[in-house]
Formats: sequence, C-alpha cells, structure tokens
Amino acid sequence: MTAKKARVTFLNHTADMGIRVTAPTLADLFERAGEAVIDTMLKQRPAGRTSPVRLSVAGEDLPDLMVRWLGEILFLFEGEGKVVTDMDIDSIWENRIDATVYTVPFDPEVHEMMTEIKAVTYHQIEVARRKDGWQATVIFDL
Amino acid sequence: MISLEQIDDCRWRIPKSGAMRVPGLIFANSDLIRAIQQDQSLTQVANVATLPGIVGYSLAMPDIHWGYGFPIGGVAAFDLEEGIVSPGGVGYDINCGCRLMTTRLRADDIRPLIRDLVQALYHHIPTGVGSRGPIHLSPSDESRVAVMGAEWAVQKGFGTPQDLERTEDHGAMAGADPSVLSGRAMQRGRDQLGTLGSGNHFLEIQTVDQIYDPVKARQFHLFEGQVTVFMHTGSRGFGHQICDDFLKEMGQSAHKGLLPFELPDRQLACAPLTSELARRYLAAMACAANYAWANRQILMHWTMEMFLKTLSIRPEELGMNLLYDVCHNIAKKELHQVAGRAIRVCVHRKGATRALPPGHPLLPEIYRSTGQPVLIPGDMGTFSFVLAGAPGSMERSFGSSCHGAGRVLSRTQAVKQAKGRAINRELEDKGIIVQSRGKQTLKEEMPDAYKDISQVVDVVEAAKLATKVARMRPLGVIKG
Repeated sequence: MTAKKARVTFLNHTADMGIRVTAPTLADLFERAGEAVIDTMLKQRPAGRTSPVRLSVAGEDLPDLMVRWLGEILFLFEGEGKVVTDMDIDSIWENRIDATVYTVPFDPEVHEMMTEIKAVTYHQIEVARRKDGWQATVIFDL
Repeated sequence: MISLEQIDDCRWRIPKSGAMRVPGLIFANSDLIRAIQQDQSLTQVANVATLPGIVGYSLAMPDIHWGYGFPIGGVAAFDLEEGIVSPGGVGYDINCGCRLMTTRLRADDIRPLIRDLVQALYHHIPTGVGSRGPIHLSPSDESRVAVMGAEWAVQKGFGTPQDLERTEDHGAMAGADPSVLSGRAMQRGRDQLGTLGSGNHFLEIQTVDQIYDPVKARQFHLFEGQVTVFMHTGSRGFGHQICDDFLKEMGQSAHKGLLPFELPDRQLACAPLTSELARRYLAAMACAANYAWANRQILMHWTMEMFLKTLSIRPEELGMNLLYDVCHNIAKKELHQVAGRAIRVCVHRKGATRALPPGHPLLPEIYRSTGQPVLIPGDMGTFSFVLAGAPGSMERSFGSSCHGAGRVLSRTQAVKQAKGRAINRELEDKGIIVQSRGKQTLKEEMPDAYKDISQVVDVVEAAKLATKVARMRPLGVIKG
C-alpha cells in the first residue's frame, strides 16, 4: 500500500463542501477519495474488514468514474445502511473500477454523524495526472 | 472576472458575452452584491445563460450563493421547443420547500412550555442524517404517494382537504409517472416519508413580532404575538436519487455528443425539452415533488399532535391551520410574457420561491386578491418573513422571489468561527430553545453563517417581486 503518501484536503464551498485528493497511483486516489466520503460523514471511520461487498462501476471517463464510484459508497450508506470501513481496489482503468469494500452496519448509537452528503456532484469535477501522481477534486452536495 | 453593470438600487446586469445567449440579472443592493462577488455564483449565472432556449435573463435572487451548476437562488426559463431541462437546475432536494402553520395561540400564553414543546417535537419527529420514520411504504403505496402527493397523506388521516387548497399545485404535480423511477429511488423512498432530514432543514416554533401589511395579514390569519410553526424540508433520499440518476443519464448523452453545444460545467447536464429523456426526467421529478408534499403534510400533522398533547388543549383551542406550502427547488411549465408575447416556458427555480401576483388564475380563491403567500425562512437566530407576490412579479422575475437568507460562510468556516462557542447557549440567551441531532449542525447553521435576511427581503420588496406582510421571531427550533 502506498496510500500513506496520498493526501486529502477538505475544500471550502459556500453551500457545500469539496475534497482535493492527491495520490501516487490512480488506485490510491480512488481509495482515499472513497474513504473521504465516510470521513466527511462520520466523526470517526470505524475499523475492520468484515462483510465484503464487490463493487464494479463503469464510467464515461475518469471524472465520471470518480463521481459514480463515490456515489456507490454513498448509496451503500444512505440506501443500505452500510458504512464502508476499508477497501481493496482490485483493478482500475479509465472507465471501470472493480473493488472489494468492507462494511459494518450503521449504528447511530456508535457511529457519530457529522455531516450528511446528499450527493456527489459533477460541479468542477477533476481527475488529472500530475507530474508526481494523480489529483482529484470533487464537490459534495450537503 | 465577470463584468457587472448597476441598473438601479436593487438590480445588476451581467452583459451578454462569450457563449451567453441572454444577459444575467441579479437582484441585490450594493452590500449584498459585494458578498455575492466573493464566490463563484456570478460565473454560474453566466454559465446558465449559455444553455439553449433560455429566454429573457438568467436571473438571480438576492440570496444567491455558489451552488453546483446553477447558483442557489437562480431562476431560468427555457422555451419548450428550443430549450432544455436540467436536473442540476432543480437540485438534488427536489421540492425542498417551506410550510407555515398558524395557530390561535399567543406566545405569551405558552412561553413557559416552549422547552417541553421543543423536546416533544424533537423526540416525535424523525430528524437527522438518513433518518427513517415509522411509515414503511409498500411499493404500491410508494407509487401512490409519488402520484397523489399530499392528498395521499390526507386520505390516510394526516390533515384535511383544506390543506391541499393551500399547497402549491394542490400538493400534487401533474405528470408524475413512477414507472420511470429506478429501483434505488424506490428503495431510498421506502422508509423516509415523514422525516425532517438534516443540514438546513428545520421545524421552528415562532411568534409574529411585526405586521407590515395589516390588510393582507388579516387575510392570511396572522396577528402580532401569535404562535406560528415554520417547516423546511423536502423529498429526502427519494429526490436525491432521482436527481442523481438523471444527471448521470444526461451526462452520458452529453459525453456521446448528443448535445449540440458545449456544457460549461458537467453539473449543467441537460436534455432538450422535446426529448424522451426530458419527458422521463420531468415525470420522475414530479414524483419527488409529490413525495415532498406528502412528507410536509405528514410532519404538519405530527406537529399538531405534539402541540395538543404537550399543551393538553383541544384542536379548536389550538386552531392550527396551514397558511401555505410552497416549494423552492423545481422546474415547471408555465405561461409567461416574453418580449410582449405569451409563451409556455419551463421555469427552473433553484433556491427560489414562486411568487404569483394578485389575481393570478393559479391562486386558490382565498389568496386571489392578496397574491400568493411567499414564505422566507431566515437563520435560526433572527427572523422569518411572510410576503405576498407583487403585481408585476411575472414580468420582472417569472413570478419568483428569494427563498431564504443565503449562506455567506461555508460550513467549514462556520465551524471554525464557532470554535469555543456554545451556540445553543447563545441562542437561549436570545430566548430561543434549540435541539439538534447532529453534533456539528448548530455550528454549521449558526446565524453568522447566513446573510442578513432583512436586507434580502428588503431587496425583494424594493424590486417589486413581493411585498412584506409579517415577520416572525423564533422561540424554539428542532434541527437534524
């Protein structure tokens, strides 16, 4: 894992909130961005590698793939009450990602909520190669 | 840098440039325009002006702030033949809106019981992130809610037929078709009817503290010292999912080159109004709008029950009645005069409230002479307002007004500024009891995070979009 070199910065937006993620590889970029969804919503992302869920997401290009990927993590939470705790990116191309995400059931008594994300938006979406890795910018609708 | 020309004390124009098809028009005074220029909302007004079939102006209300795609506080009308519909121009929270209930109570009579009322509402009304309520809809009932809206709730015993008359579109938008909805939308809608949600959604006990127009106030059954209840919520995860589904589908067609123009922002993904995709989106959007009206109808009923129980009074003593329910995130096909010609257009109101003038045929009989009640919530520490749609509003703003104070601080900035402060105690010192589910909500939503609502409303009045009728002060607030 090279994810320790990856970085997430939370961005200011008047109504909503964004993240800027930098990472050495595309897989790390998607992994850290996925974790940032949970880190935005919960005070502390729970640990553990239980209840794996296989996710296969297709997109038109990398920005679209990022929005759809984060949308899947959000849907697991909002639609199925599952909190993603950890993940393995099995493979990633420009228009497809296959991953295993580990989950625990959401328990409002245990998992302290911070902010609700209504949706992952396409507004100013960016996924781009930088000279030393990758960078993504994503804005959430809160 | 967006160039801006001042027209008068309350209007500013962004001249047509580049790919803009019409100019931008912002309703604001010079104080507000300074704050507006701090973020990217004016660029968003200009971006909306590039969309095909837009008529008149790309408009922005005085509470405009940076959204995603459309600005929050944006209004844009599109020709039905040449124009588009954009899910981002409606927003994720389809038919997010406000509902105001009047009572026979005077604030002085219930002041010692406000804390009990807030507690009762907080424990009885499901609030917070992903909140689920006691109503579990079967797929067939969920489809009925999507088609019938508030009437479904009334048929189930939540309220009276009179409430429907006092709800925009009678609480049911025509054209809803649940067969176009995704399995995910249905899944998310199943358990969220009768829930308030989180963020800026709230239920507030208030008192009328100022009357501006005694004649209209009487017609709205408002009097000084009266207890009112203000609600702000929408279509919950059901609406979010519908917006998300169609943004992705419309984004895909843009990617395949099926849109004959360049999108300035991917969040502005849209479909020609004449297309099958637009038809399906509008049918799905109507489902979410109806879900939101049913939601607010049910929450109003539970609020009434909690008042009766906590105060141990009879319904006729409480006299809780709906004044009006109006949405502020929607796209609607309406008849407007454009360049001296009456045409049907699709008006997008993203964080903007419909404000029909007196005499408009869509108004219920009781409000035909007053103009439509326009409900404008402020932040939880200051005021909310009731206005009435002004003569000429149709020509000036496609019959639209502002929808709230509008944020001035981002949530992160608000939390930072609130560090070390006990927001709930500060509010209590002002006589406002607050209960909130989320630990951060009070900081994110503190009064300093919003523009001065009085200035916003004064601009709306000066621009003759709507006129002030009454002002309410909060006594107790529950938030998600």
